[in-house]
Amino acid sequence: MKKFLALALALAMTASLAACGGGGGGSSAKQPDNSGSGSGAASNPPAPSGDKVAISVIAAEYGKQTKDWWASFQNEFNSSHDNIDLNVEVVSWNDIYTVVNTRLSNNAAPDILNIDVFADYQADDLLRPIKECVSDETYAKFYDAFLEQSNIDGTIWAIPDLASARAMYYNKDILDAAGVEVPTTWAELKSACEAIKASNPDVYPWGVDMTTDEGQACFAYYSWTNGGDFTDASGSWTLNSDENVEAVEYIVGLVKDGLTNTDPATQTRYDLQELFAAGKLAMMIGPNQISSYVASSDTPINFGIASIPANEGKSTSSVGVMDRFMVFENKDTDAKIDAIKEFFDFFYEDTRYSDWVIMEDFLPATKTGGEIMAAANPDAASWIEIVGSAKFYPTAQAKWADVKQGVIDVEQQALLGGNVKDLLDSLQSQIAG
Amino acid sequence: MSTKTPAAPAKQRAQESRLPNTGSKKRFRAVEPYIWIAPSIILMAIFIVTPIFKVFQLSMNKVTRTGQLKGFNGFENFATVIKDPSFALVLKNTIVWTIAVVVLSTVLGFLLALFLNNEFKGRKIARAIVVFPWATTLVIQASAWKFIVNTDYGTLNTLLKKLGIISASVNWTPTPTAWFAWEIACGIFVTVPFVCFCVLSGLQSIDNSYYEAATVDGAGYFQKLFQITLPLVKSSLTVSTVLNIIYVFNSFPIIWTMTKGDPANHTDTLVTYLYKLAFYNGKQGEASAVSVIGFLILLTCASIYMIYTLRKGDDTL
Repeated sequence: MKKFLALALALAMTASLAACGGGGGGSSAKQPDNSGSGSGAASNPPAPSGDKVAISVIAAEYGKQTKDWWASFQNEFNSSHDNIDLNVEVVSWNDIYTVVNTRLSNNAAPDILNIDVFADYQADDLLRPIKECVSDETYAKFYDAFLEQSNIDGTIWAIPDLASARAMYYNKDILDAAGVEVPTTWAELKSACEAIKASNPDVYPWGVDMTTDEGQACFAYYSWTNGGDFTDASGSWTLNSDENVEAVEYIVGLVKDGLTNTDPATQTRYDLQELFAAGKLAMMIGPNQISSYVASSDTPINFGIASIPANEGKSTSSVGVMDRFMVFENKDTDAKIDAIKEFFDFFYEDTRYSDWVIMEDFLPATKTGGEIMAAANPDAASWIEIVGSAKFYPTAQAKWADVKQGVIDVEQQALLGGNVKDLLDSLQSQIAG
Repeated sequence: MSTKTPAAPAKQRAQESRLPNTGSKKRFRAVEPYIWIAPSIILMAIFIVTPIFKVFQLSMNKVTRTGQLKGFNGFENFATVIKDPSFALVLKNTIVWTIAVVVLSTVLGFLLALFLNNEFKGRKIARAIVVFPWATTLVIQASAWKFIVNTDYGTLNTLLKKLGIISASVNWTPTPTAWFAWEIACGIFVTVPFVCFCVLSGLQSIDNSYYEAATVDGAGYFQKLFQITLPLVKSSLTVSTVLNIIYVFNSFPIIWTMTKGDPANHTDTLVTYLYKLAFYNGKQGEASAVSVIGFLILLTCASIYMIYTLRKGDDTL
């Protein structure tokens, strides 16, 4: 009896506490379900029998002002479109994947989703080709290179909402004190780091982020500036190419030579950004937002922006990051598709769109938006040029999530002394084999 | 007697008229406890049983990255998880993490409770201070610890520099093992108060006459500690240990805030590992399999511990 009692108690306690602590798979939406608050929004796809067509949107929360911006957008849109009932729900980046997946499991997909990835939804046949849902006029505004990032088997599944790009930031004063020029090649970068370390041991010469959050960017910085890539032109994975091996060995070498921040596996780009703004880090690769971050600090440092250094004889490349809008296949009526087109026309209206991009401190994904921003702000012009020529992660590939975590793991294993070639060979066979 | 005779039929009538009422009351009494516990049962069913069922279901299905179930696949997710070389490392880390934190915090909590049980000036303040780590959110605690050991602007380096013990900043976390040790230290720091208060409540219920009698019999401090104190606080220690095993095993915030399990899973425990699998890699089926494995391990440990303890005659739980 006691044994039974003990077992029952143990089971009850383990169950209740396990539910508190773990439960990774039991995805539960942390956000209230607002989809029913309008007129049945997403769960009842056909247009209501009344006069209004309901559209539900889930949008990612980029910053503190995102929610307010979308709230006033929704009001403006609804008051100027009598036949449409728009309902926008803004969800934080931490929760958005869980919220969306929970909705999908309950057959309550939103009509429009604003998020970074799209290939997983496409793989489950949940999306509608985006060209059907965007007016020709709006569709013509996007940079072609951006649209291509959402191409799977010749169909474009998503449109970009905004972008950001990476470049090298350097602290002019630290470089001057060390008597070095802004490095443009890997060799110059290494000697600049050595000179900086010699002139000021309290400063980290070069910032590296190989964390779970952003390690794939680190891989891209050095692979792309060494002529390497995640895939070849035909889309086959080339993770263990000689260029990639050399790239990882180069950056791990800088870490081991003590020319970087001490702990690249746990120091995120936000930690590096803080060190840079505090004048404790001489150079780092980062997104365009760093400019405004550094400028807003109490004692702004004297910094410059340059292209990411490339290996001898190789060309430099920026890393572009892009988020998207996609439309879910909800057995929509023509009236609904027209309403969705109206939504995109309204959102990408040039002034409104550039206001939004500037407010979020990103870069525009439309040519017209780019022109407006470049005219308004000369600093933005150079960034818009950078993003226009940036390379992007192969997010259209179904295995991208595995590759992303895989290269991060390779970098971290290499930091712990693993052989880069062996690690990349094993990753390649795991992904491609 | 004469007075009783006429009263009898009236009493009988009254009893007869109450009969159906008594029957329904009895029935009500029989179901009453269930009505009282119904809200808890319903809440538990919704918030505990359903997610657990869902996790078991996910662990035995092929799940797409968008969370769609694509058919039963038996133990395939479990096989994939177990074959992954990092799983063994993560499992080892989890065991080290749980044992180190639970054992050390139990010992330290017990000692602290013995100390706080003494009469001294400022005892109340000391007890309040001990509660602080427990009352603070784990994420805040872990962030504070991360800040303390930070090489560049950490308070530990600043303090040691000010005291003149070191001249240049020391990297307190040069290896994954060092990170893990700091995480364990943080885990102990936040767990000690719980053990301490469990034991303290046990200590305060011990009648002083036991110690007086033992003193009269010539028992020393350690004899009293091992022969009186320990046996009498054993039930408190059992509760705190079992709860701690479960809490610590499932603890997520400390490791996630300090290292996210990096580098290369060297500081991952099962919970952070399954979180990464589910929300970074989109492998919800495998993540659920890890969750189920963790659940079974915990169930086994808790059962063994409780059976062992109850068999020894400690049925005061």
